[in-house]
Amino acid sequence: MRSNASETMPGDDRRGYTKGTISQPTMEFGYLRRVSMGILVTAIYVFLLSPIIIVVFTSFNPTTANTFPPSGFSLRWYGAFFESSGFTSAFQFSLWLGLIAAVAATVIGFFTAYGITRFLTKKRELGQSLAMLPVMIPHILISISLLLLLTVLPIPEMTALIVGHTIICLPFTIAGITASLEGVDKQLELAALTLGASRFRVLVEIVIPLIAPGMLSALIFAFIISFGDVYIALFLSGPGMTTLPIEIFSYMQWESTPVIAAITTLQILMIVVLGLVIERLVGLRKIMRV
Amino acid sequence: MRTGGEKAFSRIMLGPITILYVLFLLAPISFFLLMSLFKYDAFNMYAPVVTGENFARLLFDGYYQTIILRTLKIAFLTAFFSLVLGYPLAYFLARTKSAWRGVLMFLVIAPLMTGVIVRTYGWIVLLGREGAVNKVLMTLGFLSEPATILGTELAVLLALVHILMPYMVFPLFSSLASQDPDVERAASTLGAGRVRTFIEVTLPMSRSGIIMGAALVFTLTAGSVVTPALLGGKDVQMIGQQIYELVTSTLNWPLASATAFVLVFCQFSIIFLYFRGGRSRAQ
Repeated sequence: MRSNASETMPGDDRRGYTKGTISQPTMEFGYLRRVSMGILVTAIYVFLLSPIIIVVFTSFNPTTANTFPPSGFSLRWYGAFFESSGFTSAFQFSLWLGLIAAVAATVIGFFTAYGITRFLTKKRELGQSLAMLPVMIPHILISISLLLLLTVLPIPEMTALIVGHTIICLPFTIAGITASLEGVDKQLELAALTLGASRFRVLVEIVIPLIAPGMLSALIFAFIISFGDVYIALFLSGPGMTTLPIEIFSYMQWESTPVIAAITTLQILMIVVLGLVIERLVGLRKIMRV
Repeated sequence: MRTGGEKAFSRIMLGPITILYVLFLLAPISFFLLMSLFKYDAFNMYAPVVTGENFARLLFDGYYQTIILRTLKIAFLTAFFSLVLGYPLAYFLARTKSAWRGVLMFLVIAPLMTGVIVRTYGWIVLLGREGAVNKVLMTLGFLSEPATILGTELAVLLALVHILMPYMVFPLFSSLASQDPDVERAASTLGAGRVRTFIEVTLPMSRSGIIMGAALVFTLTAGSVVTPALLGGKDVQMIGQQIYELVTSTLNWPLASATAFVLVFCQFSIIFLYFRGGRSRAQ
């Protein structure tokens, strides 16, 4: 028996759906078929994961070249990262930006998801598709357009960067929170409303506590999206507001030493930990449902 | 009174995103794309004179022609190989009974979360003259001296397929997972072989996933800047880099806008094909 806390989440229908799929009868694979499928799938996973695993190995390389396999073990590139003020300040900037954008995208995403699931009865499909718009538009286009907006309206550049990141995170927070909201029994809200609670009170005292794990997951996922973004920041970052991926990008245009590997390994570590937290809370699939 | 309150409340809920999307997404993008119709002006970004010269330049100038054709080629190949590699993976994930399913799903999502830069860097390390790919090929005796892979279209293609494949896997997975496995069983009970079942039943039923994924990968490839810049260098210029340079160094906004328009046009063509195809099927 699993004692995962999220298993007991009330009305978590996506869990049930996953279980159902597993227990459904599937085609009987022939032995040879199964082996060849296994080899193919393994090869695809090797392709997917090797560029990332190789980065981790390279970060411990004692020499300057990006050689593989590494010629020894050293932490000099981690030292180089912490000594480089350019990289550490970009790292900090990305952390703050990610946090602000994630909070904004979660709050607005919650409003939107609640509005769509509870108020758009007939136009629900349309509302959901419109909410997903930023995924369908190339991010470079979003970024250039915001840069253009800066030349027309007197907005601080920092605001444009935060807005851009909030926009690209929104589809994911909306999808995740919508999935959580679908698991909340509307009768509960109705009961509270009938007993005289205000809409606002229903949100704060009933809905939000019920979907708290989903909201936290959405927040973390939005942070990850923001932290990894390069296209929004490509046009909107400037002096004193350079994100980590942009700092790495400009560095790599001139040279690529394993200091990049050390930084990206730290980033990978952070993302894996955060990803596992989401998995623990609600399951990553819920959020990736784009 | 109640319904009035409800209406106001729903406006409060859906207001922020409407304002955000209209003001910071739709309006600026429309303005930017509209600029493609105006004349270039070195001092004012654009001159308020309607002209077709930006598009003419893209279509008839050899330099831009090459870049556009190369981008379309790479975008098509990336979408194609993402499909070829992504389909077996999505099929496996949708049908497997393995207890590791959750972990295997996570391993597809995890690379996506690391961002574009991390994976592009991974390919620089893999494909360099001292990199693992050259080492392996030399050890196996395919090469006598390290090959130059970085700076070629192949490097860009490999990395783009790797970076964008997850975007193909998710729509495929959802369309495959929502299929009733009994339909496949019915086909084989009625005597269709495995290949025929796949071609005539499974594949057509996952059509929406294929087109969704292909449209997404195609557009994302066509709009990529960082990966071709770092892996392809000067020899493998693509539309995205061109737009980047036009906006940041040449400051030719109208031409950048026309170039971006090509990108959007391609994407809408695919989506249009999707809906047209859907209608003809329904008839």
